[in-house]
Amino acid sequence: MVSLGLLESYLPYMLEGVLWTLALVGGGLLLGFAIGLPTAIFRVYGGKVAKTIVDTYVWIYRGIPLIVLLFLYYWGIFPIVFGIKLSAMTTSILALGTRDGAYQSMIFRAALEAVDPGQMLAARSLGMGRWEAVRTIILPQALRIAIPGWTNQYAIMLKDSSICFALGVVEILTRTRYVTISIGSYFIPYLIAGILFIFLTYGGTKVFNILYERVQIPGLVGGK
Amino acid sequence: MGEQTVPKKKGTAVYLLVGLLILGLIVGFAVGWLAKPSPPSVSPSQICAIQKSKFTNPPPPNQTVTIIYGFDANYPPFTYILPNGTAAGFDVDVMKWIAQKYNWTLVFKPWDWSTIVTALVNGDIDVIMSGMTITAQRSQQVWFSIPYYSYIHEVVTRSDVNLSLEQILNSGQPIAVELGATSDEWATKLLNEGYRFQKLGLDSYTAATEAVLKGTAIAMITDSAFFEPYLRTHPDAAAKLRVVSTLGSYESYAVATRPGDIWLRNQINAALSELMSSPMWDQLLEKWNLK
Repeated sequence: MVSLGLLESYLPYMLEGVLWTLALVGGGLLLGFAIGLPTAIFRVYGGKVAKTIVDTYVWIYRGIPLIVLLFLYYWGIFPIVFGIKLSAMTTSILALGTRDGAYQSMIFRAALEAVDPGQMLAARSLGMGRWEAVRTIILPQALRIAIPGWTNQYAIMLKDSSICFALGVVEILTRTRYVTISIGSYFIPYLIAGILFIFLTYGGTKVFNILYERVQIPGLVGGK
Repeated sequence: MGEQTVPKKKGTAVYLLVGLLILGLIVGFAVGWLAKPSPPSVSPSQICAIQKSKFTNPPPPNQTVTIIYGFDANYPPFTYILPNGTAAGFDVDVMKWIAQKYNWTLVFKPWDWSTIVTALVNGDIDVIMSGMTITAQRSQQVWFSIPYYSYIHEVVTRSDVNLSLEQILNSGQPIAVELGATSDEWATKLLNEGYRFQKLGLDSYTAATEAVLKGTAIAMITDSAFFEPYLRTHPDAAAKLRVVSTLGSYESYAVATRPGDIWLRNQINAALSELMSSPMWDQLLEKWNLK
């Protein structure tokens, strides 16, 4: 039988893992955004070469399991190829971010393509430059359209981040694992971890939904 | 008139830059993927030559020595985590004693057991003291201190399972082991010898014990260093489990260091010898139910 007092004493330790998980997810999503948005723009409005390069990047990163990417970065690419020794946390954010960039690229590509092509033609006919039209006309709409897809990406990354335990990043699941061993019971610690993930998923998606409702345009996809 | 009739703006430099960045990543991947350590082109006698490492020589006087101590946080009573997040266990106490003796600063770094040797070789950690068995395979990558604890492997099943060792190993059912541990090596060895069972690789001996108690595995391969203290601290589980047989002969735990860290290993060996011949050693063994 689990000693509830002992489990209770471990709760702050487990809760501290939330900060690490959020740091991984936040860092990963931001990096993913920084990669995903430009690559999507190049993919849609760039030439054939840009399209091929972005498609290759997406193809590679979508095909590699996250744990393989983590180990490749940590023990292969950065120390051997670039000669840089990165911390486990930085490597994890880089792995999560570069992989997420591929997925976000697809989300933004779909969002960019969802904007009526006539708008680009109209903007160009008014004398706007190509980049100016993308920046001022297409992108503000596409970013709004992309929010639901982005929300889903947050939920996916939240759960994916737990794999970073393999490099010793002490996020929620790593800490839960340590607690189960220390108290000799599995059910309740993992139940707590599950509840924490549900709250984080629910809380995060709620924030994105509120954002979506605030910025949506009447008449546009999903707009009331 | 359409989009294609509008002359394109110059964006070639930007495309090129992004293209180069992505190409760099792809090339990085390819090199990282294909880069394999080439076999040594030196004679066997030269292979033993020690490469200079972080702690090959004594540090200058008055310089603080910081040792990054890597351990498996899933291996009580040797190494585990307390509610405040600090490390505890028999091995932790011994390492703290050694650090105190030499006035070293210890940095505790829990690490996944399956990659801990790579982490040591790679310099992420400086020592491993976490119930690490001296094996020939590991000795090719790391060098061990003097042994400090002996144990034997055991096959454990539930008390209500009335099967012999041979019957269990030929049952075709799952036998739990800890992934990357010596129990994992034992399971592989037994399978190679022709026994018919399924290897159920789990992340700790505690998980393996849970699998046997819950009936998801018919038995587990564990070691007495974990199992005997576990039974003493979990009397309810002790009534439900029995040792079917031991496997092989006694093996030993030691502290692992990088081959080149001669000074560090000598210091650890000297401290271990001193501690093991003092009354403190027995007190520590008793404290952690290892005696």
